Amino acid sequence: MAKTGMERLEELKKDIYKCIHCKACKFAYSNEPDREGIGEFSGKQGKVLYEGMVDACPAGIEYGWEAFWNAGKMWIARSILSGDLEFSEEVRDVILPCITCGQCSAQCENKIRTVDIIESLRAACIESGIPMIDKHELVDKLVKERNNPYGGAAAERLKWAKDAGLEKFINNKDAKIAYYVGCTASYRQVEVAIATAKLFEQLGMNFTLVADEVCCGSPFFRIGAVDTAQGLMRKNLEAFKNVKMVYFSCAGCYRTFTIDYPKWMAADEKLPFKTQHAFELVARLVQQGKIKFKPNKELKGKVVTYHDPCHTGRHFAIDMEQEMIEKSNNLMMDSRKIKNAIDAWYEVPRVILRKLEEDVGIKFKEMYRIKLDSMCCGAGGGVRAGYPEFSLRTASLRCDEANAIGADILTTECPFCWRNLYDANEMYNHGMVVMGVLQMITEYNLLDILEKPKEGDFVTPSIRESMEEKPKK
Amino acid sequence: MKRIIEIDEENRFAIVEPGVTIGELWAYMHKNTPEWAPPIPDGAPPASTVMGDAIDRGFSLYTSSVGPQGDNFMGAEVVFANGDVLRTGSWALPTAKPFYKYGLGPDIWSLLMGSQGTMGVITKVAVKIYPHPEFKTIVVWGMSNPYDMQNLTLEIQKQEFGIAHNTVMVQGGNYPLVMTRWPKDKVPHDYKFFEEMGFSQWWMNFECWAQTQEELDYVTNRIDKMAKDYKANRAKDPDSIKAQELHPKQIASRLKKPNKIAVPYGLWDAGFLFITWYTPWPECAHFCEIYCNAMEKYGFPPTMWVASIERGRQAICMPIICFDSTKKEELERVQELNRETTEYGLKQGWLNYRPDPYIHIQAYYQAGMYWKYLRAFKKLVDPNMIMHPGRLALP
Repeated sequence: MAKTGMERLEELKKDIYKCIHCKACKFAYSNEPDREGIGEFSGKQGKVLYEGMVDACPAGIEYGWEAFWNAGKMWIARSILSGDLEFSEEVRDVILPCITCGQCSAQCENKIRTVDIIESLRAACIESGIPMIDKHELVDKLVKERNNPYGGAAAERLKWAKDAGLEKFINNKDAKIAYYVGCTASYRQVEVAIATAKLFEQLGMNFTLVADEVCCGSPFFRIGAVDTAQGLMRKNLEAFKNVKMVYFSCAGCYRTFTIDYPKWMAADEKLPFKTQHAFELVARLVQQGKIKFKPNKELKGKVVTYHDPCHTGRHFAIDMEQEMIEKSNNLMMDSRKIKNAIDAWYEVPRVILRKLEEDVGIKFKEMYRIKLDSMCCGAGGGVRAGYPEFSLRTASLRCDEANAIGADILTTECPFCWRNLYDANEMYNHGMVVMGVLQMITEYNLLDILEKPKEGDFVTPSIRESMEEKPKK
Repeated sequence: MKRIIEIDEENRFAIVEPGVTIGELWAYMHKNTPEWAPPIPDGAPPASTVMGDAIDRGFSLYTSSVGPQGDNFMGAEVVFANGDVLRTGSWALPTAKPFYKYGLGPDIWSLLMGSQGTMGVITKVAVKIYPHPEFKTIVVWGMSNPYDMQNLTLEIQKQEFGIAHNTVMVQGGNYPLVMTRWPKDKVPHDYKFFEEMGFSQWWMNFECWAQTQEELDYVTNRIDKMAKDYKANRAKDPDSIKAQELHPKQIASRLKKPNKIAVPYGLWDAGFLFITWYTPWPECAHFCEIYCNAMEKYGFPPTMWVASIERGRQAICMPIICFDSTKKEELERVQELNRETTEYGLKQGWLNYRPDPYIHIQAYYQAGMYWKYLRAFKKLVDPNMIMHPGRLALP
């Protein structure tokens, strides 16, 4: 039986008590005050000095008060555990406007699992009888009725595939590889779904689109509605039980299947399939020399930057780190190996972008805050649904950062990040094009296959899995 | 309340407001006045504030060479709980710069130093800035016991000018200082492992800054020469005394300012406490010995950090108690350890700080007259006792 939020909070008690309020968690590059950067930039959300340590906790930046920064939330968790504080609507309204981007955890020298703590705190808050905020109540109701938080009809979930001529992949019984599309790409950013599926088709992958796919449950794990999330998890585990490998184009879905599901499954249960993001496959084929990209006049010279989604970036990096710590017998000796593994993980999408630079002629330029120190897009943690203005201001802050380096195209590899960045780009007139990396490859017909990938190439385990192997003594 | 108001390179001070972090001030000066550096803490993380370090009377980069952190502050603007706004030192004159701390006779700023915010709200401070020369390195000498650490360091620190003038930072400790930065079940506890890694049981870092390479070579050679002479003629355990060869990356890492080196002690278990003591330098080895024994007696790793203040006139000794703060019984054990060592320490004439107020009161009981005047001053500026009591045994 799954644990309650309060039980998980109790399990995380040692982490919670480790917080000494050093406030490193407020900043990106919290240990690099004199890191060189691009200097001050006046963007749509005001001036930001992109050098040294930069404020990077979206909730702290938005609300300012101590309780909204991570250290405040750790104090709230501690007070709940010690009985000095009880859940209330006021407490809920402080712990919910947090995007759970994990910046705080990445900066923490005591390696506090802040995202787990905040999610457990939210679950415990709901368990205590405090009602969800109206907007969360609505998406919870919609997903229970329609298996997706957008309220889309089940019959419409794969309409994009039919419209794009990809119908043959729906419930393709022969395939042992599935593409889990996710709700955002199915009902909103269909460009991402089409691009990913067409790319798979071009590569010759025999895959299936599972008609019984439902929401992965990510928003509900994030906001503390864990009963709802687990119900969805069960439906997906059943729907995908006959495949060996599941590919994702959404960072949040990928994180949920890979990190959350095993946590919430029974102790003797194992995820019945392997998981990886589509960009891992593309990067691997680039590295193996099996694919390259075609030159493109329209893209040549365009400044392209990349936004690391928190769910594929920090959340996986922190999870890998925790796993490697758990397995280590001597962390002093293994710490460099952990750092190298995290660096290698962040390189995966950059392998594609550098190849695009080499072959297509784009100018790949990094923003100031990247990788573990990347600034969030503002969409996650139930914030886009619950606090849309805050969410979009955060996305606009990220767009400012892309503007600061003169980006023409802001890419990412998550439809949810894409949506928020796209909306902020439009709303605040940032003047860029926002698109997914794979979307760029498909829409501009950039793929040049040098050697047709074999079936084995598609079921090669994620690079992540080799990193998580037991470190040597 | 988060501004760097002024950097005055001629009068050599910076004026900052409360929210300015040491990271921000360091970065600002690194960029805009690279020849000058602020007296930032070494250990307190970059996100801590310049003013917090002042009113908690912290330890800074220059404490080893120029004196307690309090001496690095030239004046302050403070709003007392009774509504008065006061500027201290020469700054009390509306037309004066904060160039002289003691300008108007008896000094009020010193009453605020170490007050932890209990007296009033400080809204500006003027902090000295120092030359930030290009040539820097770390010289490390290791040994087997705290007495050789103490005596060798004292000999070097007594040079005052020439050598010690350029020895910006002097701090060291014992090998558990390295060990307890990792989870206790994920790191060997046996000294043998650390010995193989090149750590002595005790060591002292001498961080040297100089204007020229020749000057730096002179300082480092002089330290090495003195250490060899000490080893040959006066050491308690001569065989154990050796220079620690540092990889350039280790040197760069130790020279990195500011840093988060004091933060990860929570990894050992689930909490840690720095219990700061001031002792005369020639007594710091005794302190280390009794405190390490006490920590082991109470079941805590004997983690000790020692730094020099004002060229070895005082030592700031920081036992780091690594414990499981989720357990009430461990908290009680820490308190017992603290009580026992405080009783012993006060008898030796050592001063405790950053204390548990219930323990700290022991010191005030022994210095009753001092406490009486502190309380009187507190009553004057905070008559209704509305300020946060901090961790001091003041009302």
